[in-house]
Amino acid sequence: MTLRSNRRDVLKLGAAAGALTGLGGWGLAQDGRGRTQSTPAMEGDEAPTVKRVIFIAMAGGVRTRETFGTPANVPNLQMMADDGVLYPRMRTSNLGHFGATMSIFTGISEARGIRDNARGTDPTMFEYLRKDLGLRQSDVWVTTSGGPQQTNYSYSVHPDYGPKYGANTLDGDGIFNKEFKELLDTYGRPKAMEESEQDLLDKVRRGIGRTEDKAENAAATENAAKVERYILEELTRGTSTLRGANSGDAKALRVARNLVSLFKPKMTGVVLQNADIAHGSFNGYSEVIRRNDEAIGEIWTAVKEDPELADSTAIFVLPEFGRNKDLNSRRGLDHGDGSDDLRYVSGVAWGPGFGKGRVVKDDVRTIDAMYSACDALGASPELAKGQKLKRLLA
Amino acid sequence: MGAPKSPASSAVRWSFGIATLLAVGGVATAQSGAGDGQDGRTQARPVFALDHHMLRTVCLDLLGRPPLPEERAEWLDKDLRDFLKQTTSGLEFWEHWLEEQLYFFLLIDNFRPENEGVKAVPEKLFEGRLNPREAVHRIVLSPSFELRNPGADTFVTVVMEQLAGMRVQKRIRDLEIGKALYDGKPGTFLKHHGDSQADVVKICVESKDFAREFISREYERMLHRAGPKKPLSSWSRSFHKDPAEYRDLVRTWMTSEEYMRRLEEQHPLSNRAFVNALHVDLLGRMPTRAEAEPMREALDGLGDSAPLRSILARLLLDSGRVRVPSKGELSSRRDWAASLFPRFFGREASVTELDAICEALDEPSCQPSTILYALLSHPEYHRF
Repeated sequence: MTLRSNRRDVLKLGAAAGALTGLGGWGLAQDGRGRTQSTPAMEGDEAPTVKRVIFIAMAGGVRTRETFGTPANVPNLQMMADDGVLYPRMRTSNLGHFGATMSIFTGISEARGIRDNARGTDPTMFEYLRKDLGLRQSDVWVTTSGGPQQTNYSYSVHPDYGPKYGANTLDGDGIFNKEFKELLDTYGRPKAMEESEQDLLDKVRRGIGRTEDKAENAAATENAAKVERYILEELTRGTSTLRGANSGDAKALRVARNLVSLFKPKMTGVVLQNADIAHGSFNGYSEVIRRNDEAIGEIWTAVKEDPELADSTAIFVLPEFGRNKDLNSRRGLDHGDGSDDLRYVSGVAWGPGFGKGRVVKDDVRTIDAMYSACDALGASPELAKGQKLKRLLA
Repeated sequence: MGAPKSPASSAVRWSFGIATLLAVGGVATAQSGAGDGQDGRTQARPVFALDHHMLRTVCLDLLGRPPLPEERAEWLDKDLRDFLKQTTSGLEFWEHWLEEQLYFFLLIDNFRPENEGVKAVPEKLFEGRLNPREAVHRIVLSPSFELRNPGADTFVTVVMEQLAGMRVQKRIRDLEIGKALYDGKPGTFLKHHGDSQADVVKICVESKDFAREFISREYERMLHRAGPKKPLSSWSRSFHKDPAEYRDLVRTWMTSEEYMRRLEEQHPLSNRAFVNALHVDLLGRMPTRAEAEPMREALDGLGDSAPLRSILARLLLDSGRVRVPSKGELSSRRDWAASLFPRFFGREASVTELDAICEALDEPSCQPSTILYALLSHPEYHRF
């Protein structure tokens, strides 16, 4: 048994934290080549420092030139990098937005059609986390910006993982939009159900259907009630009225910020997409980057200002791939020229126990980030092909 | 084995032939005691007699909605083949077909085509003035498709992938030639000469690969499984030769052994079918687009849409638009409860289920709407 899997089992069993000290993945870290190197060990009964992860796939195709190559576009990400670790040479595969983003979550390069709209075959980081750490669905959330396709990231069809280990996935723009809010206003909000009626409802639900339905029904009830309540409340918070070129991304990020503050999930994934406006407008694309940086900054501030989150939350931000080196005839940027601008992106990692102000100039891969995020929380993505991000730890 | 010359000959191999059904025994030939005509002649039960389950499933697979109340009244115990003939000859069949194609191409929400060319597709298909291949061609040439897939790389990749089922990572050279055509340069793309973006589409849509991909996708959409290899290739050839035969193929599939197996299974109800089902089952009508689209879009925004489906069911029940009887109006609670199961689940209720509902209704705080809500938010309602 490896040190890491030993630690995972211990975590799963909820054993005394003291047992973790000498065995933790953070006590003995592996570098990119699998060699172990010593890192500051945790003291006494201290629990793992990273308790929560916010993982932002800044998808839609974002070049380094417009992020860390133009720090004025991304002041918040730059500050995060100054206080964390910057990876300016993250290698990607041009597999289309859907496949490349899925790869970030599965840790395996996935060849998928650009408009494929189906679950992947390899488990996602959300499934690893839920299965390995025994997390409830309400502990793992993903907010997205790209419509029905992106909800496929919540879980795979892998026989050992799949829907029972899926994340709660919300597409900000799909739910919190003007049309849906108007529909709810027209129909009127559902009446609050009295406790006695709720009990009867549960009783009737239990009394109908096949035996296997009854188990599924019971398991879903707790999570469904929480999600129901959250959706109805979020609709009154103003997320529906967000506008602008990055409105989809802004909603995904706003929903994530609210989830992080309200539920403090173990894992909050965010998938952006609006930067793809670049095909037709370089200026629009730059504006999306600036606005998304601002919204990421709000999440970061919310984390730093919350005593429960400040010292226990790690944040990863990375694009799925870049864009072409040269502008197209519409003064936009496509993705497909095979240049380094397309194939290499910059990612940042910030969190307790991570390096500070470090720039890792070695090549790493976008699929390595999920490996490190899982590892930080104590899960082992057994089928992922990535490795831990090099020189991440302090 | 030689390829069949027409879908009809495929049907011979892939359908429950009447002879087979006769061999099963009483099912096909049984005379219904109650079916004796007044003239004294007996009436044979149809070979594919529609029961609640089959009618609900076939409607959802073909039209994306459960049967309307009048259809239940008209078609129960009638022959599936007659139902298929009537349904696939109607405009609604093509309207649903177009919706499914637009969803496949993700031409939804802001990318939904609003041009007359695409809007007219169902009617033209219904009138036989367009065939499915021409209809797909028209969809892909719409400005919405271009907007959805901007730039040479994305456009050509999506056309190759979605029309011809190619993995571009394995066809890099073809992709590059396609991109050159897109930019107006002449070239030989997939063995055909072209020099424009429209040529990229035309070459793909007229290819045998398109026929194979389209037929395979449509089969999978309706039967919820991959098609059998040999018949698929023969159906694809037939379609390639004469795309107007598509409707005959659908009828063949829906009476095949494979479809009979599909009827024994439960598959997840898509969000768009759920929205339709909710309206048909509660209001007896299809939703308007203005009602359906925000609901569908919101449901599609969730990895697991069950919690929001539950909200929508409650929303509709509490809206005052649904006629829900009061307890006092129920002359027999048991009969009322029993009537809900064929309607919502396509099956009869068990004694235990009826007992559970009647017991709940005895409680003062339980209303008929509580029962409706329990059924509509139950996992069984979300499958078919």
